[in-house]
Amino acid sequence: MVGEIPDDPTVPPPPLAGSIGQQRVRELVDENGLTELGRRPSFKKYVTELWEHRSFITVLAQSKAYAKNQNSYLGQVWSVLTPTLNALVYAIIFGIVLETSRGLENVIAFIVVGTFMFRFFERSISGGAKSVQSNAHLMRSLRFPRAVLPASTVMAELTTAIPAFVVMCVVSWASGLLPAYPSVSVTWYWLLLPFAILLMWMFNTGCAFIVARVVAITPDIQNIIPVLLRFGMYGSGVIFSISHYAGDGLFGTLLQYQPVAVYLYLARASLLQEPSIPHDPVMWAFGAGWAVLFFVIGFVVFWRGEERYGRD
Amino acid sequence: MTEAEIDFEVDPEDLPEISDQPDVPIGGPSLVVDDLHINYRVFGGKKVGAQYGKKSWFTRLVSQSREHVGAVQTVSAIRGVSFVARHGESIGIVGTNGSGKSTLLRAVAGLIPPTKGTVHVSGEPSLLGVNAVLMRELTGERNIMIGGLALGLTPQQVRDRFDEIVDFAGIGDAVYLPMKTYSSGMSARLRFAISSFATPDILMIDEALATGDATFRQKSKARMEVVRSEAGTIFLVSHSLATVKAICTRVLWLHEGNLVMDGPSEVVADAYGRFARSKRLEAKAQRAQRRRRG
Repeated sequence: MVGEIPDDPTVPPPPLAGSIGQQRVRELVDENGLTELGRRPSFKKYVTELWEHRSFITVLAQSKAYAKNQNSYLGQVWSVLTPTLNALVYAIIFGIVLETSRGLENVIAFIVVGTFMFRFFERSISGGAKSVQSNAHLMRSLRFPRAVLPASTVMAELTTAIPAFVVMCVVSWASGLLPAYPSVSVTWYWLLLPFAILLMWMFNTGCAFIVARVVAITPDIQNIIPVLLRFGMYGSGVIFSISHYAGDGLFGTLLQYQPVAVYLYLARASLLQEPSIPHDPVMWAFGAGWAVLFFVIGFVVFWRGEERYGRD
Repeated sequence: MTEAEIDFEVDPEDLPEISDQPDVPIGGPSLVVDDLHINYRVFGGKKVGAQYGKKSWFTRLVSQSREHVGAVQTVSAIRGVSFVARHGESIGIVGTNGSGKSTLLRAVAGLIPPTKGTVHVSGEPSLLGVNAVLMRELTGERNIMIGGLALGLTPQQVRDRFDEIVDFAGIGDAVYLPMKTYSSGMSARLRFAISSFATPDILMIDEALATGDATFRQKSKARMEVVRSEAGTIFLVSHSLATVKAICTRVLWLHEGNLVMDGPSEVVADAYGRFARSKRLEAKAQRAQRRRRG
């Protein structure tokens, strides 16, 4: 029994101040084998914990992707319908209305592949940025390594993007049927596309880890991310060819080898038979390098903030 | 009815029989909380002080813009709480609204990292709260899977125990509907059932008994006794003093983020009951006075 029963019932007793004392706490902890909560676990332990939660990540991702289209009559049909309509807009605007070639043979296929791949990146980043805050309720009721949140957000985006990627392949092929465009044929190289997507997924997850931490600590950054993404869009050659406009100088080279442009290149090289986009092992090396680099750095950055998430 | 009039007691016949607490021997420490402080960072509001008065327009401009730019403040929810809980104890946490009960529970469950001080536990604590929303837009079935996986089970283990969970929650086919369609009692029951996946060393319950009917209260009480008889520790936050007295052996009284009393449930709950009642009378008197004046 600690604390006094107050004489005046309207006044609560004075605070029971004072700590148990570090020495005594250490004794109790050692005697009873207790572990400390709310501290960042060691890197190795964090990786193990995250690995043990891998099915949590996938189920959370699939559920989120599924819930997105559930509030309508057509339900999951929208996962295919939305990208198809989008592709149609690009085909009409750039292929039929504007009719610009921009140094390319099949502009429609070029733009559709570019926008669909870039959308996967864009949505991963903006989703990843919000992942810690928008899951505050989950963090306040369940204990799990918080890296689950950005990782599952990006995986949910991948799940949403897969039907879109199928649409992307079909539209690219179909654009070749239009009289003014050279045909796009299905080749063995198409089998490389999943690897390009896989590398981009890894890269996106790494970026999501970084923005998730930055935004969790400084929410203001969230307002800057759309601006940066817009820059990224024009700097990655989504709707035009970088080499055609930026040339082969230092600036052009930098733009060509930056990660997002590399993944767009890989996807286009796999799907299209564009003479200005030849198959290039150097690009694959860059793609793999960026993916590993960003994934590792992002994960470490996120882990180092682990003890700060959820205090808002 | 205003907030001050909320009844802190429940109907006695609504409760499980008092004094049927199992005789569980009190073991060694299962939880050591030392000098715990929790500060929340709150965006979107800032107290700037009286703006109208004899202030120059410049001061007013500056103070008004401070209200809209950089509106961040730190709120101390817990201000230096220390205690040791032992195996086999069931501990009630009482206090008025905003006294830091739920924050303390979350910190002790490892969900909110401490700003200062330490929390040491044995085993894995598990928090069960009625406020702890899972994912509203998903079905109960999906939420059972998510909750189970987050508690560290494998998908197969969750599937094996799925029927058992649905039975315990007693929600029938509603498990296949999105949780946003559930009544508050239904979702509270489902959350309680999900948390019973694990037999944790420390079980924390936030107001869970307040929702749910008499049958469910019996079920959840039985569930808590299982945890306690396996030498676990139970924490219970409830506004119902009768519930706290019936279930807990020890009570912590929090007031404005400080621990003000810690002892056997009868003594502390009675002292807090007197405090709550006198506050209620005070508020009533003030209202009556206002009515007379108005």
